[in-house]
Parts: sequence; C-alpha cells; structure tokens
Amino acid sequence: MTLTATYRLGTRLFWQDRALLLGSVLTPALIAIGLPLLMRHLRPGGTGEATAQFQGTLAVILSITAFMNIAVALSARRDQLVLKRLRATTLTDGRILAGQIAATATQTVAVVAACTVAVNLAAGVPYPANPLLFAAMVIAGSVVLATLGAAYTAAIPRAELAGAACMPVFLLSGIATGAMGPIREALPSWVGAVLDLLPTTAVVDAVRTGAVARPALVLAAWGVAGVVAIRLWFRWEPRRS
Amino acid sequence: MFMTAIRVEALRKSHGRFEAVKGISFEVAAGEVFALLGRNGAGKTTTVEVLAGFLRPDGGSVRVLGLDPSTERAEVRRRTGIMLQEAGFFPDLTVAATVDAWRGFTAAPRPRDEALELTGLAGRAGVRVRQLSGGEKRRLDLALALLGRPDVLFLDEPTTGMDPEGRAATWEVVRELARRGTAVLLTTHYLEEAQRLASAMAIMDGGEIVASGGMAETLAARGGRVSFRLPAAVAAANLPLPVTVDGDVAVCRAEDPDLAAQTLLSWAAERGLRLPGLEVRAATLEDLFLDLPTSAR
Repeated sequence: MTLTATYRLGTRLFWQDRALLLGSVLTPALIAIGLPLLMRHLRPGGTGEATAQFQGTLAVILSITAFMNIAVALSARRDQLVLKRLRATTLTDGRILAGQIAATATQTVAVVAACTVAVNLAAGVPYPANPLLFAAMVIAGSVVLATLGAAYTAAIPRAELAGAACMPVFLLSGIATGAMGPIREALPSWVGAVLDLLPTTAVVDAVRTGAVARPALVLAAWGVAGVVAIRLWFRWEPRRS
Repeated sequence: MFMTAIRVEALRKSHGRFEAVKGISFEVAAGEVFALLGRNGAGKTTTVEVLAGFLRPDGGSVRVLGLDPSTERAEVRRRTGIMLQEAGFFPDLTVAATVDAWRGFTAAPRPRDEALELTGLAGRAGVRVRQLSGGEKRRLDLALALLGRPDVLFLDEPTTGMDPEGRAATWEVVRELARRGTAVLLTTHYLEEAQRLASAMAIMDGGEIVASGGMAETLAARGGRVSFRLPAAVAAANLPLPVTVDGDVAVCRAEDPDLAAQTLLSWAAERGLRLPGLEVRAATLEDLFLDLPTSAR
C-alpha cells in the first residue's frame, strides 16, 4: 500500500512540475530525436548512422531523465526538509526511496519509448531487432541509473548545485556511447576501456550488439554499488554546519 | 487507568563532541499533556527526535508505548503523530492533495475532510501549500500528525506563527485528544501555552532537567506576587514586607499572596495611604522560568 503511495506521489509531482519536465523530458527528447534526424538529413543514403546515433543517445536519456532528475528532486526535498517529514510517517526509509526510484524509472522508460517511436516516424530508424532485450535493458538501466542518482545526492552539498553536479555524468555518458560525436576516438584507449564500464554504456552496448551477459553483469554491479552507497551515505536532512 | 506512554531514563545524546542531552529522565502518562521547556539549544528538540526515532540514544533508554523507537520505528510510527518544528511540504500540492498523499502513508487514516475540519482548514482545501500563511502551514502540519489517530503525539512548537484564534483552536484540539487518552509531549516557547495545556512539565537547560513536576503543584509551591505602584512618599524599605522595585512598581513575592496583600493594605490603611494598581496573582510559569538561574532561560 505505502510503496504505491510513494510511487504515485513521485509520479504526480514529476508530471506537474513544468520546469522539471522541460529539463528532464523535453531536453533529452530533443537530443534523442533531433540528432538522428539531423544525421538522416546529412546522409540521405541510409538509416545506419541515424540508428547508431539514436542508440548512443539512450545514454543521454538515462543520465538526464533517470540520474539527474532523481538527484535534483531528492536533494531539493532533502534541503526543504520534505524527506524528513516523509520519515515522520509510517513509511520506512526503503519505501520512500524505492517508491521514488520506481517512479523515476517509469518516467525514463516512457521517454525512451516515446523517442523510439518518434525517431522511427521522423528519421526512419528501425524498431529494435530484439524488442524484449531492448525493453529489459532500458528498464534495468533506468532502475540502476535512478538508484545511482539517489545515492549521488550524498555528494551534492546543496540542492541548487544538483544540476551542475550531474553534468560530468551526463557528459561522460554521452561521450562513451558517441552521442556527442566521435570524441571518444581522440581519447587514449584506456579511457575508452573505463568508459565501457559505465552503466549507460552497458545498456547501449546490449541494444547495439545484442550482447546480454556482460551488460547485465555491469548493470548488476552498479546496482549493488548504488544500494550500498545509499545505505552508507544517504543523507535525509541537510548538513547542519 | 494510568498507563505510561513515554518513558525516558537517563537519556544521553551527543552531536559530535557536543553533549546535547545529559542523562535526563521523565515519564508521560496516557491522556497527559507534558510540556518540555527551555531556551534554544537546551536539548528539547534532540530529546523529541530521539523519542520519535530519528536519532539513536547514546546512553540510557527510551520507550514509547513500551517500544524502542530506534529499533521498532515502524511499529512506533503506526501509533504516534509527529509535528516537527521544521519540516517542508511539497509547495505545489494543494492542501487536499497533501492530505490525500499522506493518507496513503498512514494505516487506517482519518477521512480527509475530518482532518481538515478538525484543524480549521476545510475552507483552504483547494489552495496550494505555497500560498498558505505560516499559521496555516502549522495547522496542516497538525492535520498530518493527527491522520493516524495517534496514541502519542509529539508537538514541537505547534502554534508558532498562528493568530490568537488559531492558537486557541489548536489548544482545544490538543485538549480534546488528551481527554480521549492521547499522550502529548509539547515543546514550546510560549509559556502561557504550556501553562494552559500541560498538566506536567520539565524545564531543560544545557541538556539537563533543572525543574520538573506537576504544573499545578509546581506553580502553587512557587507562591505568588502582589504588585502595586509605590506611593511617592513611601520608601520601599519602610514597607512591612520585602519588595523589589521596578520603576515605580513594587513587587512583593510571597508564599501566600492573599495574606501578603492583606498585610500591605492594613499597613497602608493605618497610615492613610493608598496602594494604587494593586494586583494579586498566583505564580505563572513565566515567574518560575525567570526565577531560574540566568543560564537556564
């Protein structure tokens, strides 16, 4: 009962906040739809590059709509003492966070689904060859990134810095999958090897290559790390200094 | 039926190196309103946060309804309501939507309209929380704390920012809850509020309890005071009872203020004097508070 209550609350707060929608839905959706569309116009011949571009931008959606979105929301609620108030109810700590993570993951999956349809219609990007794997990876990736975003709030000193604090994650995710162009090719190979370990890269790899085992393992490891970090460092109230 | 709802024994709690609570003990019975008083930084809020299960005690023991709030938080929460001194709302939710969301977090909650009616917010149901006044936010706070029909209620500065009407209405709600058996732990800066609501109290200072007891007994034991404007012709030292003089007002403290007033009046009558503005009153909590060593205020 109470988990669905926090889920519903998280969902409602999200869809009714216009500024949040602009930042965490519209912006990544524009990138995810606009770049493949642009690619399609630059190379009218085939859909291959537009498809690769779209697959790469999945990392951008995950890092903004899942990771940054929850990090901004939770650090704001922490600083406004809303989390403290939630803890004054019968909700357990786990339910408060699980409800919010589930709500954020759902929003992310919805954005990915909408963008997948949009790029198909606008740029002719074909639907995923293995829709089941695609869905499973997007869902798992959304949950893991939302969990990591919740854990990351421990490193955000004040809510107004949350957006800026998430920028490196967004940039690294985009560079790792080529969503921001071929920057990666200019970097030393060990950097590439490290970028391959990102959870966003794991999702994109699975979608691109059909690989299951390695991406699933990488995501699971990040998921566990996120949960452990939350247990160790998550702050429910602003630091009193 | 006398039942202990809250029991605190030798509680200690530090924040880093600062020892905020230094071994305090007290009990609150079912149906009792207990006021925890003291200046800012005395350790009141820390005590309430330990009782509410937000903080773990460093030493001593704390029981709420016989349960340990730090290890049995979920069970304690089901039967307690908490009105925190400081806590935020979702500013864009309406009053009704806030109560609805919180009903989802509460086992067997009161109906929304009942909670709003009880706290005088029925006419504000459609208003966004960000548009509420400070006093109205406190009422909403109270509405959320009462949703689960708690057996124990923690009220940390419940009427801050309320107008006199709102304050009186809140007191009535608290009294009614106590009549029905809810134990209430109240911390407040308003001594009049504590005196009117609470049947027992403890005053904290520097993490310790420096005065405590039943409200009526404690105040009765403090005696009272007689005050009057000192006639120009009279030196305070010549009065039959010792007084302190503040401006032109003389104040005589006495165990039996009625007897002191009689003594003063007959002394004045013998000399054909009047004691203008004469006032006799029993001790108030404020007198008691002001009589404590300065560090305890």
